Amino acid sequence: MSASHSTAHAADTSKLSPQFHVAHHFDSADEQFDSAKLGVWLFLVTEILLFGGLFCAFAVFRSWHLEAFVSAHHHLDKVMGGINTVVLICSSLTMALGVRACQTNNQKQATAFLIATLLFAGAFLVIKYFEYSHKFHDGLLPGRYFTYAGAKYPDEKIFFGIYFMMTGIHGFHVVCGMVLIGWVLLRNMKGHFSSRYYVPVECVGLYWHLVDLVWIYLFPLLYLVG
Amino acid sequence: MSAHAHASEGHGHGHGHGGADHVPHVLPLPFYIGVWLALLVFTAITVAVSYVDFGIFNLVIALTVATMKAAMVSLIFMHLAFDKKFNGIIFVSSLVFLAIFIGFTMADTEGRGLAEGIEAKHPRDITNPFTGTEDEPLPGGATSAATSEAKSAAPSAGASPTQTPPAQGGGAASPAAGSPPAAGSNVAPGAGGAQPAAPQGETR
Repeated sequence: MSASHSTAHAADTSKLSPQFHVAHHFDSADEQFDSAKLGVWLFLVTEILLFGGLFCAFAVFRSWHLEAFVSAHHHLDKVMGGINTVVLICSSLTMALGVRACQTNNQKQATAFLIATLLFAGAFLVIKYFEYSHKFHDGLLPGRYFTYAGAKYPDEKIFFGIYFMMTGIHGFHVVCGMVLIGWVLLRNMKGHFSSRYYVPVECVGLYWHLVDLVWIYLFPLLYLVG
Repeated sequence: MSAHAHASEGHGHGHGHGGADHVPHVLPLPFYIGVWLALLVFTAITVAVSYVDFGIFNLVIALTVATMKAAMVSLIFMHLAFDKKFNGIIFVSSLVFLAIFIGFTMADTEGRGLAEGIEAKHPRDITNPFTGTEDEPLPGGATSAATSEAKSAAPSAGASPTQTPPAQGGGAASPAAGSPPAAGSNVAPGAGGAQPAAPQGETR
């Protein structure tokens, strides 16, 4: 940020990300960087449309079985869901700061932030595990596996079909995100990343923020409104 | 931040196969902390609102707050506010298609059974769809003769599957208008008797 930093940066530049080079089919490092990000954004669009189909299914079934959905969503734990929302928001912050640490050539800080992101992601899955096991125990399950005795509406099983499908696919994305974060964490510890080259961290970050974005909509729709 | 922009001129040439080094656009730390705090506050708001019953506005408030949170994440954490505009266009276009997808699906699913009721009240001859009926005469002098003809034919249309013959100009072009195959494709399916409310509600 400061002038002294940028001059130090200029002096060290040959040592930063020594394995990095601009592939011959790109004119410049900027073009290579932008192309990678463009590709990730296109991938994120397919992810949005994947979850969009699920949100559409949610909207249709909710309009067909409104009373059952409102009744069923009271079985979800707002507190656990809210804690998980906070956990994911914190993980998004640490991911963004991890990218920033790479941008500013702060390898140790980047390692710390990426580890923190992994821990938050793990915490999300642990909380999700407790929620799921509680639902399993109560028989609040999709379709014909719905064995909960106190259900006011038989169609509550449809809500749990949607709930498990949406949170399950989201949870799968969290697991994929953890693998990707672990990958950039290892590469960062090997010293691959710097202000010259950090596009994998940036792209994994974009993916991770999208996982957060999906949850930002899932949480109020499933837990709060129903 | 500006120091970086100047630094890009000062270093980085000669790496790789050409072009200057990529120089990141580093956002100041308070940006990230501020967005993080705002996200936490909005989460608290949306949870608090869910404990009060505002009817349909619970859904509206929840989606509005979620969209504000999503905007903050995408603009700051995902750098869209400072990024190449094309990435933002791609992202927003996916939301446009999502709106079409969900909007049209909901328009369909919410409107099931409405058309059948209206059609039962206002039977139309699909071989001559722009002719007014008894209930809803069309304005304009050109169709007035056809309207009166439809008016006189309306009682018989209710009694038998045979449709009213095309009122103007279509008589020679479609001689089979009154025959069974054409009648089967017309409004008032089946016997064409008085069944105005029958199709309603069957789709759910």
